[in-house]
Amino acid sequence: MKIKTMKNWLAGSVVASLLGVAGIAQANDKEIVIGGSIPMSGVFSFAGIGIHAGIQDYVKIINDSGGIEGYKLRYVPEDSGYKVDVSVAAFKKITSQNKVDFYYGDSTGFSKTINPELNRMNSILMSGASFATELNDPEKYPYQFLAGPDYTEMFSILLRYIAQEKPGAKVAFVYSDTEFGRDPIEASRKVAEELGLKVALELMTPPGSVDVSTEMAKMRRAKPDYTIFHGYILAPIPEFIEQARNMKLDTKFMGTFWTMDNSTVMQMGEVGDGFMGVMPYRYYYDESAPAPMLEKIREMRPEYQNVPYIQGFLSAMLYTESARRVLAEGKELTAENMKAALNTIKDFDTGGLIGVPITISGNSIPVGRIYQADASKGQMVPVSDWIVLE
Amino acid sequence: MRIGTAKFTYKHDEALFDSRTQYAWLLVLACSLVAFPFIANEYWLYLACLVMINIVSATGLNILTGYTGLVSLGQAAFMGIGAYAVAYMDNHFGTPVIFNLLIAGGITMLGGVVVGIPSLRVKGLYLAIATIAASMILHFIFANWGSVTGGTAGLTVAPPVLFGFSLDTSFLFYWMVVPVMVMMLLGAANLFRTRIGRAFIAIRDRDISAEVLGIPLLRYKLLSFGLSSFYAGVAGGLWAYFFRIVTPESFPLSMSIFFLTAIIVGGMGSTLGSILGAVFVTMIPEVLKLIVGWLPVSVDATLILSPVRTIVFGLLIIGFLIVEPLGLQEIWRRIRRFFHLWPFKS
Repeated sequence: MKIKTMKNWLAGSVVASLLGVAGIAQANDKEIVIGGSIPMSGVFSFAGIGIHAGIQDYVKIINDSGGIEGYKLRYVPEDSGYKVDVSVAAFKKITSQNKVDFYYGDSTGFSKTINPELNRMNSILMSGASFATELNDPEKYPYQFLAGPDYTEMFSILLRYIAQEKPGAKVAFVYSDTEFGRDPIEASRKVAEELGLKVALELMTPPGSVDVSTEMAKMRRAKPDYTIFHGYILAPIPEFIEQARNMKLDTKFMGTFWTMDNSTVMQMGEVGDGFMGVMPYRYYYDESAPAPMLEKIREMRPEYQNVPYIQGFLSAMLYTESARRVLAEGKELTAENMKAALNTIKDFDTGGLIGVPITISGNSIPVGRIYQADASKGQMVPVSDWIVLE
Repeated sequence: MRIGTAKFTYKHDEALFDSRTQYAWLLVLACSLVAFPFIANEYWLYLACLVMINIVSATGLNILTGYTGLVSLGQAAFMGIGAYAVAYMDNHFGTPVIFNLLIAGGITMLGGVVVGIPSLRVKGLYLAIATIAASMILHFIFANWGSVTGGTAGLTVAPPVLFGFSLDTSFLFYWMVVPVMVMMLLGAANLFRTRIGRAFIAIRDRDISAEVLGIPLLRYKLLSFGLSSFYAGVAGGLWAYFFRIVTPESFPLSMSIFFLTAIIVGGMGSTLGSILGAVFVTMIPEVLKLIVGWLPVSVDATLILSPVRTIVFGLLIIGFLIVEPLGLQEIWRRIRRFFHLWPFKS
C-alpha cells in the first residue's frame, strides 16, 4: 500500500514537473504583455507594492476602455524579493511562458544584467525602479528607459532651484557608500560649479549607519546653506536633521526620489517639517492644477497611493503609448520600433501626473519640481515651478 | 549493507562507487543531465545553472565547515574575489575562460589562506566573527579599489567564449557549468579518501588529538581554508560569467548565510549534502512561487502570498532541522537503505 502511494505521488510529481518544464504557453496574438520583476517582498516591498498597483490600475483602465488598436494589455508580475538572481529568474520565467513586449525591472543590478539579453532579443522595452545615471545612455542601453529623471538630473534640478533661490550658496552632499549613493556625486560637483554654487562638504556614510555625530562636527564647520541627501530611504536623515537643529545649524535639508514619498517624510516626525526634495510626479493628493489621470486614480483608490505607485502607473502609460504609436504606423512590435516610438513622444500630456508636457528624447524624462513637507497638513507642498532640464 | 556486493579487494572496498546499481543510476543521471537542456525552457535552464554554481560553492563551504569543523561566514566574499578576478582578467587580458576560472580559484585560495590564519587561535562562533570581519574588509576593497574593481558601479563581463561558442544563453552556459560542477564534486568526494581529507575530519572531531596523531594543524587548517576558497573562487567566476556584472553588492553577507543554511539543511560533512542543500535552498522559493502560481487566486492575492512564501520557506528549514538534524542527505541515505534490501524487506 505504501509503495503504491509512493508511486502515485511520484507519477503526480513527474507530470507536474513536466508541465512546468514545458512551460504553459499563453500566447495570444492580440495582446500586449507587460512583465515585471516586482519587489513585493523584501526590503524594497514598500515600493514594489505601489509599483504593482500602479501598473495593474493602468492596465485595467486601458482594457476597460477597449484596449489599444484592438490589443488588450496583460500584466504578468513575479515577486523578486529585490534580489538580482531572483529577479533574473522571474524574467526568464515570464519571458519563457509569454511573448513579452515590455518589462519592469526592480533594480540597477537587474537592469545591467538583463540589458545585453534585451539587445539580443530585440523584442522587449524595459523600464524600472532604478534611476541610475548609467542607464541613461541610449548607446549602451538602447532598450531601456527611465520614467523620470536620472539621479544626476535629480541633483541638477535641486541645484538649479538652489542657484535660483540663493545664488552662490554653499551646498553639502551627504550620500551612502553604495552604487546608488555614489551615482550622481561626481557629475553633480561639476553642475554645482557651473551654476556658481560651492560644494562645501561631501560626506559618505556607510550603509545603514545611524551614528552621525562625527559627520555633524564636519557639517558644523562647513555651514552649508543646503544639504542634499542621496542613497537613503530614511535613516540616517532624521538623525542628521535632529542634530543639526540641536546645533542651531541654519541649513535646508533636501532629498531625492526614494526619500520623497509622503509617508517616508512624515515618518521623520517633527524633524521632517520643512524637508525639501525633488519629485518628478504630482503627489496623489495634489489638486493645485487639473489632473484628470490623478482624479481617476483617486476614484479607483480612495486611500493615499505612494509615489512608486505613480511611477508604475506612468511606466505602464509610456509602454502603452509607445506600443500605440508603433501599431498606428502598422509596424511590428519590436524593441527597436517601440524605443523609436517612445523617442517620438513630444509635449505629451500625462494627464497631470507630471505637471508639464513631457518629451522623451533619450532614455530619461528630465523633469522635476521641488516640494516641501508641511507637517501641519501632513503633506508635501510645491515650492517651485516644474523645472525641465535641456 | 547492500545485498549482493561482496568485496574481494581493498581497491574495491575503497571505490567511490562500488556497485553496478550505482553505476547504472549514475548513467541515468548523466543521460538526464545531457537531455535536460533539450526539454527544459530558458527559465528551468537558468535555475539549473544557478543551482550548479551554488552547489560548487556549497561544496567548498562543506569542506571547510562540514569536514574540518571551521565555521565560516565569508563564503560570499570569497566568491566575490573569484568573480572580480574573472571580470578583471576578461576585461584586461581577454584570457580563455578555463584559465580565468583557474586563476580565480587560485587567487581566492590565497585570499582564503590569509583569512584562515585566525583559525589557528579561534574556533566556532569566534572564527565565524573573524570571517565576517574579513568579508567586511573584502567588501571595502571591492567598493574602493576603483582601478581594479570598478568601484561601486562594478565591472561588466562579456559572455564567455568556449570552443568558438559565445555562451550567452542559459542553454549554452549549461554545457560549461555541468562539467565544471562534476569535476569539482568528484574532486571533493575523492579528497576525503585521501590523507588530507581524513586529516580534515580528524581536526573536526578533536583537533588536539589530531595534532597528537601527527597532523600539523597549521598546514591542514590553512589547506582547508585554501581548498574551500578555491571552490568559492571558481563558483564566483562562474557567477560573474553567468550574470555578467559584478558589484560589491553582488555578494552580501546574507549570501554567506545562504550557503551555511544550504550545508546545514543538506548535511554537514557530506558531498551529497552540499548538493541536496544547494538544490533545496535555491529551488524551494521558486517551487513555492510555482505552487502559488497554480493556485486559483488573483494577482492581488500574489501580493499577500509573497511574504507568506518567505515564512513557509523559513518554516520548512526549521522543520527539516527538527525532523532530521543530519540533513537531507540522511533522508536520502535512509531511502537508499530501504532499497538495499528491497524486495526482501519492506
